[in-house]
Amino acid sequence: MEAKTDTYSTKLVEHCRLSKKSFEIRLKKPPLFSFKPGQRICLIYSTVERDYSLVSTPADNDLILCIRNVEEGMLSPLLSTIATGTRLEFTGPHGYFTFQPSPRPAIFVATGTGIAPFCSIVSSGVTDITLLHGVTLADDLYYADFLRSSVKRYVPCLSDPDESSVDYFSGRVTEYLQKHLAPGAYDFYLCGRSEMIRDATLLIDEKFPGSFIYTEQYF
Amino acid sequence: MKIYTGTGDRGKTSLFSGERVSKASERIKAYGDLDELNSIIGALVAALPPKYTNLVDELEHIQSNLFEISAILATTPDSPSMNQLRSFSRKEFDALEKAIDARQNELTELKGFILPGGHMTAAWSHIARTVCRRTERHMVSFLVESIQGEIPDQYRNAQIYLNRLSDYFFVIARYCNHLSGTTEKLWKK
Repeated sequence: MEAKTDTYSTKLVEHCRLSKKSFEIRLKKPPLFSFKPGQRICLIYSTVERDYSLVSTPADNDLILCIRNVEEGMLSPLLSTIATGTRLEFTGPHGYFTFQPSPRPAIFVATGTGIAPFCSIVSSGVTDITLLHGVTLADDLYYADFLRSSVKRYVPCLSDPDESSVDYFSGRVTEYLQKHLAPGAYDFYLCGRSEMIRDATLLIDEKFPGSFIYTEQYF
Repeated sequence: MKIYTGTGDRGKTSLFSGERVSKASERIKAYGDLDELNSIIGALVAALPPKYTNLVDELEHIQSNLFEISAILATTPDSPSMNQLRSFSRKEFDALEKAIDARQNELTELKGFILPGGHMTAAWSHIARTVCRRTERHMVSFLVESIQGEIPDQYRNAQIYLNRLSDYFFVIARYCNHLSGTTEKLWKK
């Protein structure tokens, strides 16, 4: 179903730490590469391939990826230490997780680095939305300042009970949907952990009939 | 990434265009049949001697087309998601008609009803033919039940393609028997 994509060569421009466990890398955008906000690339380094959603917009000069450093991971530990200027390859763009305009209100729901495609979509001008970002610790609410000032409603959700604060919703994103989202039909965009996508989908079926659901599952 | 999602545990599934629908709907039956048909073509390809590369290429192109038809069936016609899909044009069923005619020219004239079977590859092709017919029936049921007014080109072209495809598999079944030197058995009343 997905169109065949080309392989591109690029180099690492910059590392940037986002939190204790996550970081951002900037890659030089090849001149012939184009994508839609919300899409992924498949990064190839040595013999390992991994898909990452783009944080940046098509108008930016660099491709920005938001990566969680998984200690036992095959690629993220390598990416966290490779030197600026290192050459990498990627294929893409991949996926169909792009914004679909509709008369229904849009609810974006992310867990962890699943916030990446939403950053690209919001930066590209889609701001009349509610955005939930679920993480364990407040340290992982990367892009919070940008998102809070850009979208109609930004709701950070912290699942660690020790992190409770008036600035955040204390609980999972699905608990927020259950308790605080008014009944109705919405367009839900779900990105991140498979467990969140499953729980949110079953909740939407039950509580928000007539809604549309678009998903991007990370792991 | 996990292969299982659990989002369909209560009998619903998501369309490519975002809607949640019952797995009992005619639409889901139709693209379930497409999946079955595609797998049967895979078995046919696996059973073919490797030297028939042209036929293998032709069958694998059909498998790709069936993926595209599945995506079309999983998308409501007036949704923005439909714009993300390649247009399924009549050139695909024109190509099938040419393939049917080309194979047919190599075969002896049909003298009556033949029993489905013969060589293993012919038997798989007959199964593909019958599952293709069922797929088309479910697709027509879906179109009749769900589409008010004129049927969108994407759906109509896909249905015509399936109609030609079952004829194609009839000819390919005969062609496989021909290639393998297997005598066709005629129906005896």
